[in-house]
Amino acid sequence: MTLHIQKSFDPQKGLWEIVPQGEIDISTAPVLRSCLDEAFNEEKGHIVLDFDQLRYMDSTGLGVIIGAYSRMKEKGYRIVLKNPRKNILKLLQITNLDRILCAEQE
Amino acid sequence: MADLLKLSVPGKPEYVGMVRMAISCLANSIGFDIEAIEDIKVAVSEACTNALCHSKNRAGGYEVYCEMSDDKLVVSVVDQSGGYDKNSYKEPCLDHPQEGGLGIYIIKALMDEVDIFTELGYGTRIRMVKYTR
Repeated sequence: MTLHIQKSFDPQKGLWEIVPQGEIDISTAPVLRSCLDEAFNEEKGHIVLDFDQLRYMDSTGLGVIIGAYSRMKEKGYRIVLKNPRKNILKLLQITNLDRILCAEQE
Repeated sequence: MADLLKLSVPGKPEYVGMVRMAISCLANSIGFDIEAIEDIKVAVSEACTNALCHSKNRAGGYEVYCEMSDDKLVVSVVDQSGGYDKNSYKEPCLDHPQEGGLGIYIIKALMDEVDIFTELGYGTRIRMVKYTR
């Protein structure tokens, strides 16, 4: 299973756009954790996670995102998910995380 | 009579994806729809992750038993990682999300029946059932 992540920072908007491609599970979740931490340490800004090309994620990925969300919230920044596929949206809804992470879609 | 498929999985994270692929093929062959197949994939992955996370010796591995019949798929993930104190498990508080502790909650939400047997000093078996309907 593979996970590739593209990231870019828009200095005008003060926004990271991070696009994971592939699958996030126990073997690849550390890659996402490092990417989020490195991005936020490099440039403080909000993070948009575009899940359009993410085929699969389970609680290991949710845990990484919850951790990043909590750390960023303390410093006044947000992390937002967009374009989750149906299977991932179902997990977000089951855990109520859609309410805090998918604000753009409301 | 149900067919039984047994997978013996090394205790390394990189094999969880392979279990997921195998389970996906099995569920498809029984006739589950796409949403149910996704549910089963996530639930089995969560159980495998659970086996790995509770393992003091990750090299020890775990077993995945799949019983296939016309109307259901029964998957049991069995480890010998020393078990845990069942009384210590708390349902996650969804209003105050934490980094860990969502796995069992998700399994219960996605599968039709879930039984967890654990014994301190021995191991844990998570038995999950999904009906084809």
